[in-house]
Amino acid sequence: MNKIFKKSLNRSKSFFSEPANFILTIFLCIFLVTTILPLVSIILESFTVHKQETLFYGKPTGSLTTLGWSSLLFTGNYDYSIKYFYKPLGNSLLIALIASFVAILIGGVFAWFICRTNVKWKKVVSALLIFPYIMPSWTIALCWKNIFANTNVPSIGANGFLASVFGIYAPTWLVFGALPIGITLGIHYAPFAYILIGGILKNMDANLEEAATILKTSRARILTKITLPIVAPAMLNTFLLVFASSISAYAVPVFLGTAVDFNTLTTSMKYFNGNKPAQGFAIGILLVCLGLIVMTVNNLLTSKRKSYTTVTGKSGQVSYVDLKKGKYPIAILGMIVVLLISIIPICSFALESLLSTPGDYSSISLDFWIGDANDSVLANKYYNWEGGILRNVTVWKSLGNSLLLSTVCSVIAGTCGLLLGYGIVKKKHSKLSKTVNTLSFIPYLIPSMAFGMAYMAFSVKAGILYGSFLLLAIVGSVKYMPFATKSSTGAMMQLSGEIEEAAILTGTPWWKRMTRVIFPIQKSSFLSGYLLPFISCMRELSLFVFLIIDSNFIVTTLLMYYNEKGYDQYGNALNLLIVIIVLLVNFIINKLTGASIDKGVGGN
Amino acid sequence: MSEIILKNVYKKWGKFVAVDNLNMTINDRSFVSLLGPSGCGKTTTLRMIAGLETPTSGQIIIDGKTVFDSEEGINVPPSKRDVGFLFQNYALWPHMTVYKNIAFGLENLKWKKEQIDERVHELLKLLKIEEFENRYPGELSGGQQQRVAIARTLAPRPKILFMDEPLSNLDAKLRTEMRIELKRLHLTTDSTFVYVTHDQLEAMTLSTKVCIMELGKVKQYAAPLEMYNRPSCLFVGDFIGSPTMNFIEATLDGSDITFSGIKAKFISEKEVDIHENVILGIRPEYISINHNGKIKGKVFSTLPSGMETTVKIEVNNEIITSVVFGGIDYTVNGEIAFDIIGDAIIFNKETTDNIAMGKIVIE
Repeated sequence: MNKIFKKSLNRSKSFFSEPANFILTIFLCIFLVTTILPLVSIILESFTVHKQETLFYGKPTGSLTTLGWSSLLFTGNYDYSIKYFYKPLGNSLLIALIASFVAILIGGVFAWFICRTNVKWKKVVSALLIFPYIMPSWTIALCWKNIFANTNVPSIGANGFLASVFGIYAPTWLVFGALPIGITLGIHYAPFAYILIGGILKNMDANLEEAATILKTSRARILTKITLPIVAPAMLNTFLLVFASSISAYAVPVFLGTAVDFNTLTTSMKYFNGNKPAQGFAIGILLVCLGLIVMTVNNLLTSKRKSYTTVTGKSGQVSYVDLKKGKYPIAILGMIVVLLISIIPICSFALESLLSTPGDYSSISLDFWIGDANDSVLANKYYNWEGGILRNVTVWKSLGNSLLLSTVCSVIAGTCGLLLGYGIVKKKHSKLSKTVNTLSFIPYLIPSMAFGMAYMAFSVKAGILYGSFLLLAIVGSVKYMPFATKSSTGAMMQLSGEIEEAAILTGTPWWKRMTRVIFPIQKSSFLSGYLLPFISCMRELSLFVFLIIDSNFIVTTLLMYYNEKGYDQYGNALNLLIVIIVLLVNFIINKLTGASIDKGVGGN
Repeated sequence: MSEIILKNVYKKWGKFVAVDNLNMTINDRSFVSLLGPSGCGKTTTLRMIAGLETPTSGQIIIDGKTVFDSEEGINVPPSKRDVGFLFQNYALWPHMTVYKNIAFGLENLKWKKEQIDERVHELLKLLKIEEFENRYPGELSGGQQQRVAIARTLAPRPKILFMDEPLSNLDAKLRTEMRIELKRLHLTTDSTFVYVTHDQLEAMTLSTKVCIMELGKVKQYAAPLEMYNRPSCLFVGDFIGSPTMNFIEATLDGSDITFSGIKAKFISEKEVDIHENVILGIRPEYISINHNGKIKGKVFSTLPSGMETTVKIEVNNEIITSVVFGGIDYTVNGEIAFDIIGDAIIFNKETTDNIAMGKIVIE
């Protein structure tokens, strides 16, 4: 007995003497609480009768029922299920498909031209191309509305840019509904596709193409038979990730769908949240399942993909396709597209925020930026006068909260991700590492809204934290940790294990190995793991929408409030402010440390 | 005493057995090479002794102290095993200068500043890299990086030094130079060296003892020349020596042996009584070409390298390799005659074990 005890004591002692094991064990426990527990709680909630539902289901509050599920899925009366579930489901799938297609088309084409040809202005184009991903997704939707809106379309009071300047009146389907939602989401995720596909194209051994060239293969054939199949796994990977993210988009469907009664699973969920929570939770579970299916498919594909990623060969020479005379026209064309999706939105926000009368492009003023809240002239002029946003205490407060929240989330997510990446790579063959790796990825694929809802259910039930800053910080950190984990895992993978082992053998303690050896070598990749959560958090809405009681609390919910109320100029001004802050932070951090979004997403 | 003892050591990855029941004693101050083709478990063995890899089961004792025991659950971390490790790709820290790379380990051992300075300069001088003191690894050539790596490993004066194919990334000329230096280092440092390589020449020339492995199992553990002259099995005979040993299908019937249509007598050193089909192994240098040779053949091809010439001889549809000293260009398809001198080895055809050794006498 004593011997067995001693043996297991010795065993666990040597197991935990390795920091990687210690980290993995701790995070396994953390993930069980932060990921699994909320999931269990939404499952339970979907079977529970809530206070609002007692009359509807005829059962007391808190009792268990399957009525939530059955009425969501099988109510034939008034086409209830069709209206609130099946149609939104179809719409969600449709917009996700369009978005994935658009993202891969834009991202893939740009990736190929920039990584594989001698096209001009690569640097500028590739820098500008990242903008749409940094901007909140719905701001592109807002810009779309700014440009295409016109009075012929339902619920629009003023003409947009095209209609008022050029007199072009876009049809309703181009202003509202599946197509514009899909396209704007696609534009938002295009940089993501560009980074992922470009990463593979950049690393692809030129010898592979050169071998084909020597065998007298035509350029077109090389592209279709060699290059495309090699990037196909990356494209599929991108497709699935964009698909999973678009399914859970909330704000974009609200802006471009509500007016024509176009509902998705997320808007349906928000609708149920108020009066029939059980059904809302049921939709949440379905969204989680969609996310998990995508993750499983992705894992199956990426495990096969490994044979592709090893194509990084020795040949440092990349043979660029010579576009000859085409390199300027194509560059100009690319520049126009990039300007359309990255600069135009910013200009559009700026312009709209300067109009004292929406739709009247001659009425330029700075009122909505710097106007005095107590100015009676302005108060008479504008029915919703609250003062220019730069002089508005509420705006500054929410901006401060957002910055604080983003900083806290990025520090927690970045640090945890760094440690996780270290542990996962260090023990990459062990079961523990594989389990933790899989668990660490779950928050990434649980739709933001369902994730937020899960935490709401959990915290309301537990009677703690609901509406608190701490809860927001926890949710944000957990949700964005996968970004940091991914970039730190990538960085650790590149670092040969011997680099650390050389330090271990000289008796360097663990923290010193981390701070003096590992971190300095892969500094920029690790810091990218901090940058991405910051930016994502700064522009996040759907994750926090259920968790915030006071809409003034953070800047994105405040923006949503302005937009819902139709305070267009305020909305545009605030939007511009967010975009500028995020771009500025990204720029400063990039210049100071070399960290960048593309490194964070997994490119090089 | 820095003796290393491995007892019943296993390493498994799932169903794959990387190291299969390894038993070995590495004597104090010896230079032992682990030799074998890639994937034979030699690097794994080295890493297990150093503590960088955990064996699945078994026991490892260094200097009389048990550092690993699966039964007791003991696993001493690498830093407490007092060993040095030279990595194949050097693993120099790219963000530290040469000086810092060497000094870093000593700082961790809480050496005094003056002591560190003295030791680093001593090593820089020993390895002739004084002028690179303030350079970064990226600014050095492969050979210079190698020297820095050696200096860094030697700095804390480890009693045992592990080396994992340290010369494989160098060009042929530099490799020969470094080989000489490593052998001198072994003498000057007074430590036990354990060296992993797939290059049989390196193992032969450097080591006091060679351990040859195949598929996780030790095939033979002996001094280099003994291994060369008395291989335990066909695999060892084949792996050691270049050009490789001749393996000829033969029938042994007591003292009569028949191979490629030649009838001969086999005079065994020990008394054996074998009547079966066997494989006859003869080193190329024991195929002695001369005008009066008793066996006649045709020149199949000839490969003069200057100092020596490898001649492939066709005898009754069998190709036999011979090595002659000096650069002689034989005419292809020309007549040639040779004798078999020196010891030949008889391998069992099924088990490929060495079952007898002796002389071949042509009648």
